[in-house]
Amino acid sequence: MSALEAVPRIESRSNRGSATWMVVPALVLLIGFFALPYLTIITMSLREASTRAVYGEGLTLSHYTTALGDFYIWGILGRTLLIGATVTVLSLLLGYPVAYHLAKSRSRWTSLLYIFVLSPLLVGLVVRTFAWMIILSNNGVANQALKAIGLITFPLQLMNNSLGVTIALTHVFLPFIILPLLGNLQAISPDLAMASRSLGASRMRTFWKVTLPLSMPGIQAGTILVFVLSISAYVTPAMLGGTGGRTMSVLVVQYLVDNFRWPAGAALAIIMAAVAVMFVGLYLKLTARAMRRLP
Amino acid sequence: MTGASCGVEKTIWDRLFTSLVAAIYIFLMFPIVLVVLLSFNSGEFLAFPLEGFSLRWFEALFSNKRFLDATLYSIQIAAVSTIVNGVIGTLAAIYVARYAKVARDFMRLIMTAPLLVPEILTAIALLFYFYEIRIGTDYSIGIQIGHIVVTFPYVFLNVSSALFNFDRSQEEAARSLGASGWMTFRRVTLPAIKPGIITGCLFAFVISFDIFNISLLLKSLGKNTLPLELFDYLRFNFDPTAAAIASLSIFMTFTAILIIDRTVGLRSLRF
Amino acid sequence: MTALTIDRINKRYGNLHILKDISIPIAKGEFVSLLGPSGCGKTTTLRCIAGFERPDDGSILFGNRDVTRTLPEQRDIGMVFQSYALFPHMTVAENLSFGLEVRKVSVPDRQKRIADVLAMVRLEGYDKRFPRELSGGQQQRVALARALVIEPSVLLLDEPLANLDATLRDEMRFFIRDLQQRVGITSIYVTHDQAEAMVMSDKIVVMSAGTISQFGSPREIYERPASQSVAGFIGRSNTISGKIAEALGQDSYKVDTPCGSIGTTGPAGLAKGAEVKIMIRPENIHTRKQCVGAGQKQEAGSGEAGKDENVLAGAVVNSVYQGSANQLAVKLASGDRVTVDVNGRNPLDVGEQVALRFAASDTWLLAS
Repeated sequence: MSALEAVPRIESRSNRGSATWMVVPALVLLIGFFALPYLTIITMSLREASTRAVYGEGLTLSHYTTALGDFYIWGILGRTLLIGATVTVLSLLLGYPVAYHLAKSRSRWTSLLYIFVLSPLLVGLVVRTFAWMIILSNNGVANQALKAIGLITFPLQLMNNSLGVTIALTHVFLPFIILPLLGNLQAISPDLAMASRSLGASRMRTFWKVTLPLSMPGIQAGTILVFVLSISAYVTPAMLGGTGGRTMSVLVVQYLVDNFRWPAGAALAIIMAAVAVMFVGLYLKLTARAMRRLP
Repeated sequence: MTGASCGVEKTIWDRLFTSLVAAIYIFLMFPIVLVVLLSFNSGEFLAFPLEGFSLRWFEALFSNKRFLDATLYSIQIAAVSTIVNGVIGTLAAIYVARYAKVARDFMRLIMTAPLLVPEILTAIALLFYFYEIRIGTDYSIGIQIGHIVVTFPYVFLNVSSALFNFDRSQEEAARSLGASGWMTFRRVTLPAIKPGIITGCLFAFVISFDIFNISLLLKSLGKNTLPLELFDYLRFNFDPTAAAIASLSIFMTFTAILIIDRTVGLRSLRF
Repeated sequence: MTALTIDRINKRYGNLHILKDISIPIAKGEFVSLLGPSGCGKTTTLRCIAGFERPDDGSILFGNRDVTRTLPEQRDIGMVFQSYALFPHMTVAENLSFGLEVRKVSVPDRQKRIADVLAMVRLEGYDKRFPRELSGGQQQRVALARALVIEPSVLLLDEPLANLDATLRDEMRFFIRDLQQRVGITSIYVTHDQAEAMVMSDKIVVMSAGTISQFGSPREIYERPASQSVAGFIGRSNTISGKIAEALGQDSYKVDTPCGSIGTTGPAGLAKGAEVKIMIRPENIHTRKQCVGAGQKQEAGSGEAGKDENVLAGAVVNSVYQGSANQLAVKLASGDRVTVDVNGRNPLDVGEQVALRFAASDTWLLAS
């Protein structure tokens, strides 16, 4: 069959026409069920609310004006961003040493350590968040341990607030910063650190002046990834956050699933996405200076 | 051998750094190990001290029809996602790597986009979209398409990376020896990119099995995937049966990781 | 005065014995090459000198300062890497300034030294460029400048020319050697290229399998190789097996071979009857066309063949034109093949009988 013949052709130009079929199913899937659906969030956010159906007849901007005039929503947005920023900083602080260690490691345990980094990523979010519930609940492992060593007599409130969500999200998204950093650090030739040492720089100075500046692309990619993931996370704040740790995603899903306020929920989702894009844009601008000199 | 500090004695800073890294590894692994430990604990509560080894929570789990149904449903959806993406993701990766000339960057972008945007937004978009095109959430079709869309990039990226690392002069050598285009593909190209396809498919399966947001918004009434069932269960119960479900999911993930590690090596993973 | 002493260092990785009792004394201002195939331990030796590896035992002295247990940054070395290892996020000037900042050199001093060293490597005006904007040869010169600007006590070079193309490599050999002699800095140069080692070095350390096969000047190593493997590694060589028939002087011997008796030069103290190999370099053998049937004796007796001259008969079995010379393969009566360089202008044809003449002083005996 000519279509099958076309698969491996090396003289691509003569067969390009007949190879197009290969990409058609994927394009149909991603345009038909990914790109187009995103447009419906926008259209949905402009529809009027209705009590009888999920949305009414006319078009309106009222969902945006209502949301932006609501201090409660501003509060939740602020909390979401604060959690996102904290999680990003924490995962950078915890992830960098691991990535650095893994990039330098030559032992036969390296492969096992890599599994340690990767596996939390592949264990489901509900499962990992559940694990944190076991740890952070009032009778949880953390409080038990603190009581046992005599630091506290009454359990600390570790979940149903921003604290619990922040801790769990840091754990959940840590691999997402380690992996880009690892790729970046491994791409830096070890000769550069040796050159720096041969010129008389201590290991500390070598790190600050050579390794760290050269790992800026990895830091940038990893922090953006973690920030976007943590402000849009749903499962962890829904399970651990309670009302004290409620974030935008939780609010949006509540609008959509519990209250059937689809247009208003769509407007909230767009506000959340717009704020995320703004912050990432600002961040890119700020980090551009540090990246300017890199090839 | 090339580490800057190689062959030189460890200083106090080295030891401090190693301890810090070890502590972070413990932070990474501790919650997972904890869940597995507690799922085999005979005690009634999800807490220490451990009372003894027992499979009672797994028995409770397997005698619960809802969990069994949810597990089968999750496997079904993950399997379909894997097979569909295994075919269309591989084809798309070959096309983009080999034939796409004009819109290559655009195609790369759209093929990886589901990974670049938050899953919750994709779930919301699909919820509205299926409603608008009158498919709704009455059947499994919506949730199934959602899973396929979200796991598509994993197959695409892993196959693309295998193709990128593949030396095309091997194909030319095969053609020069008289092999037809199809034979060259089947005997030379396919075996070379097979590890990428396997990795991508295993990855797609595991991710599809774990996806939550898409399932939450697109599920049809009364049909839960395993993560959804666990989520619902935990609203009203907080007992070791949940740990048993979590353990099961963890075992599945580690089996996949071991398979990838033993066959193609974990470092070839792309995401 | 020795600027650098390597004293019986050993290095093991698990069961692998990478360096076995390596000792090298290096005089001030000397250019010493570590030469050998990959895996012979030359790079490990260099890394031990730099401080990136620590030998299991033995010691390394810079002058009379024992540096065996010090960190690389405390050693006062300059190092040039095969990959150049220029900091990609710094300009040429910043790369050069790096080592000076560590040494707390004042800003005006720094600027002056950077300008001086850039002039020395003929890169004036390149100070604001990034490494990626330079050619391979220019990057190499920046790397050299960066190592020299800190005026280290030892310059270490790890195959610095391996990534350059052939023409540039030839040019850089002389450039580096010339620069090294002008600065007068003690240098250690790792290479697997014997031609490079020959033209650049004051001394060559030939290494194989973690041991030193020979340590000497290029001339000693070329003309008086310590073993057959050294002879084979440095340049081309022919060997003819034989047995010592008698010692003629302290370093001259008569050796019996299947082709007859040959006068040779060799190390002192070889015993009569010892199995030896006679090494002769292709360019030291001269040929003369021989009429078929003409005896060896007649040829040998005719004229200019001196007292220490040997003559062997053979037949040309292969001839390769190489431009400046013709490389002949000649089969001797014994069946041994020897390679001979002859002038390209009067070629000898395959099948022709030739007389091979070479002086006893151009031979060297290798223990079998």
